[in-house]
Amino acid sequence: MKIRIKLAVLALLVSMPALAGNVTVVDKSTQNFPVDALGSLWIDNPIGSIDVIGTDQGSVVSTVVQRTITGVDQAALREGREAVAISYEGDNNVRLIRTVLPQMRSSRWNASVAYTIRVPHSLHIKIATKTADHVRISNILGNVTINAFSGTIILDSVMGASSVSTVNGKVVYNFNSRPLSHVQVQAINADIEIYSPADSFFDWIADSIKGDFLTTFPVQGKFISPTVYRGTVNAPGGPTLTTATLLGQVTLMAKGTKVALARSLRNDAPKQAPVSSARALLGPSEKIQLPFVAGNWVFAASVADIAVGEIRGDAHVETGAGEVEIGVVFGSCSVMSRGGPLSLGDMLGPLNAHTGAGDVTVRSARRGGEISTGGGLIRLLAAGGPTTLRSGGGDIIVRQTSAAIDAETSSGDITITVDPSDSTEKITARSAQGNIVINVKPQFAADIDATVVVSDNNANAIHSDFPGLTTRREQVGGKTLIRATGKINGGGEKVELYAEDGNINITSQIMAPLRVATPR
Amino acid sequence: MADCDLLTENLPLLLTESLDPASRELTHRHIESCAACSHEWSSYKDTWALLERLPEVPIPAGAKARFLTQIAPVSGRAANVVPFRRRPATRWLAQAAAVVVIAGGAYVGGHRSRPVQLQPTAASIASVQPVAYSIAESRVLPASAMSPTIEGRPDIQNLQFVPAAAGDDKIGVGFDITSHITVTGHPNDKSMVRLLRYVLENEDRMSPSRSRAIDWVRATYSRPGADPEIAAALANVLRNDEHQGVRIKAAETLNNLGSAMPSDTRDALIEALKSDPNPAVRIKAVEALARVLRSGGELDTDALNTLRQKASQGDENVYVRVKAAEALGSIRPQ
Repeated sequence: MKIRIKLAVLALLVSMPALAGNVTVVDKSTQNFPVDALGSLWIDNPIGSIDVIGTDQGSVVSTVVQRTITGVDQAALREGREAVAISYEGDNNVRLIRTVLPQMRSSRWNASVAYTIRVPHSLHIKIATKTADHVRISNILGNVTINAFSGTIILDSVMGASSVSTVNGKVVYNFNSRPLSHVQVQAINADIEIYSPADSFFDWIADSIKGDFLTTFPVQGKFISPTVYRGTVNAPGGPTLTTATLLGQVTLMAKGTKVALARSLRNDAPKQAPVSSARALLGPSEKIQLPFVAGNWVFAASVADIAVGEIRGDAHVETGAGEVEIGVVFGSCSVMSRGGPLSLGDMLGPLNAHTGAGDVTVRSARRGGEISTGGGLIRLLAAGGPTTLRSGGGDIIVRQTSAAIDAETSSGDITITVDPSDSTEKITARSAQGNIVINVKPQFAADIDATVVVSDNNANAIHSDFPGLTTRREQVGGKTLIRATGKINGGGEKVELYAEDGNINITSQIMAPLRVATPR
Repeated sequence: MADCDLLTENLPLLLTESLDPASRELTHRHIESCAACSHEWSSYKDTWALLERLPEVPIPAGAKARFLTQIAPVSGRAANVVPFRRRPATRWLAQAAAVVVIAGGAYVGGHRSRPVQLQPTAASIASVQPVAYSIAESRVLPASAMSPTIEGRPDIQNLQFVPAAAGDDKIGVGFDITSHITVTGHPNDKSMVRLLRYVLENEDRMSPSRSRAIDWVRATYSRPGADPEIAAALANVLRNDEHQGVRIKAAETLNNLGSAMPSDTRDALIEALKSDPNPAVRIKAVEALARVLRSGGELDTDALNTLRQKASQGDENVYVRVKAAEALGSIRPQ
């Protein structure tokens, strides 16, 4: 007994500082308003929770508002109580209840407002919230619209049409009878769960570029795009449930079934049709990390981050979006991404790398190949074979090449350094808006054809450390075209350079050759 | 009568010629105007004259000894007896005389000595603070301001000669000169910041090294306390530069700057995310805005709505959408 008392005293003493740290006050108010049975109720509560319960009694909106203010001291508490107000507006047709917060909030206090509202079940409900602990709508026959940023949104027995838009959190629908109206859920990161009687019938459209679609319903349908599935549950003719979440997962459950029994439509999809590249992209989002692949490796996903250390054979990778990082590929390498940076190490075989957007970095392309990006920088440390580089906008840098280079960017600088052990090399570089710099050794021989188009008539836009170039100027469409041609060091491979609104520099440098170690 | 009592006390001093001149004059005037005092003064003088005429009589030895014994200080004087000694009149006279002598001496000395003559010395400047160097498009220099020594072999071009005007024998020589200047200083020195801002914002004057300049700015200012003017310069580059590669680097550098992001810079990122044609710029803008939103404080509604709109935009690049969605997922609104 004594021990219990001591423990209680100890617990009290320990909790004293915590009790003394913040001060909390809870205010509660109740208001009743008449409303038309077919009217609408608008609730705007940026912080807190909202519970709306439909009843079949009378035409009255009954609100219970609980305001909780927590402050660091009494003064902060007073400030918070004065700053947070509840506003009741509107008429019998449209009622608006909103939480009024100051534009700039002090960090010395926090507020949370919880609404519990009973309404005629035929009422239409519109809710706006930012940081909601939860929004729960129950037993409503009217239409429901919810716009939120985060929190759990629960629609229980909502039989009217509903539209939910949120960013984070979770959206849960619970139908106690089969759905009769359209449902539209638009989320960014939120998971969507729908529970409906097993005998429900409706059309289902599910869209997620990174998440999966799970269901225990018998669904007949197909992927109409790599990210969108369209199907019919039980029988056609019902309402349409549209569930779109960019990164979240969609779960459609028949009541009385277990989640463990749910099947993945994405995993099932390849089995329903011949495997193809597009089909393979239907797999759910993954983060692939492999240190070593003994032979060839083929992988495709809609959204995936891929990191592979070494591939002893050929590599073929396709992603809808994601970051791709591959250390070494002994065979040919093909990487296709619709968006995301590519970081490739030693590519011993031919390389074909493309991304819709993002930077591409390649340590070495021993046998050359093609590298392109819709927008981003391309950095190639060493090119051992003929290489084509294309950028929709961004710089192209070739640290050292011992083979032909064909580089083109719609906007950006191109810098190419030729291996000092090469006496001549074919180079084509074209920038629609940028500068071109070619670094070669003093003995480099080539037939130079360099052209710049500049707006400034006085611009000296071509500079060469090598003598022997003949420069001509002419006016073309209000711009000055400067062309320098000639042989350097007696002539050699063709070097074609073209730059608009930029300069061309051909520099002579004594350089040490870059050595790329060969993987074993 | 009070004056008589006061002046009567001065009569013995007047008799012995011990009064100061002013008191002596005052006492004489009073004696001339006062019959009683005049009579008494006469008595004093007669008595003093009689005393001078009396013969000196030797004092008997026994009487002198007794007298001296009687007037000698009593060694065993009672403790409660405080002797009052008469203040000798000569003491304040001596003090007054000293003051008069010092003051008079100083006065006479000051007027009689020669004025001080300082030997003139040649003026010299110990050190000179050099005038701040300003980088200007053109400058007019008087020949006297230019050193006659030309260092190295600078490349002088576009020579122009201005002949002397009538009544003025000054000529002019105009030229372009290429000098290599290295400015050193702290990264946040205003001169250094302004120079870098000029380098970043004037794309039509720069050599191919401009994108390297942004790389260098990123490496230098990616730490706390970077001058906001650097961010403003990069925001201008992001808004106005036609060079997509430069815009990509500007957005990337803004994301890496160590300073808080001003609202104008944030607006430039939002504009880039909404309308830049290059998807790589939009990706960098998403990353930078995500950093702004994660940095805490009040939730930036504009940035939030732009990211939300981008994440939901069906025709946007998938990777841009995913990055925007991931950025939104990392935000915890307060």
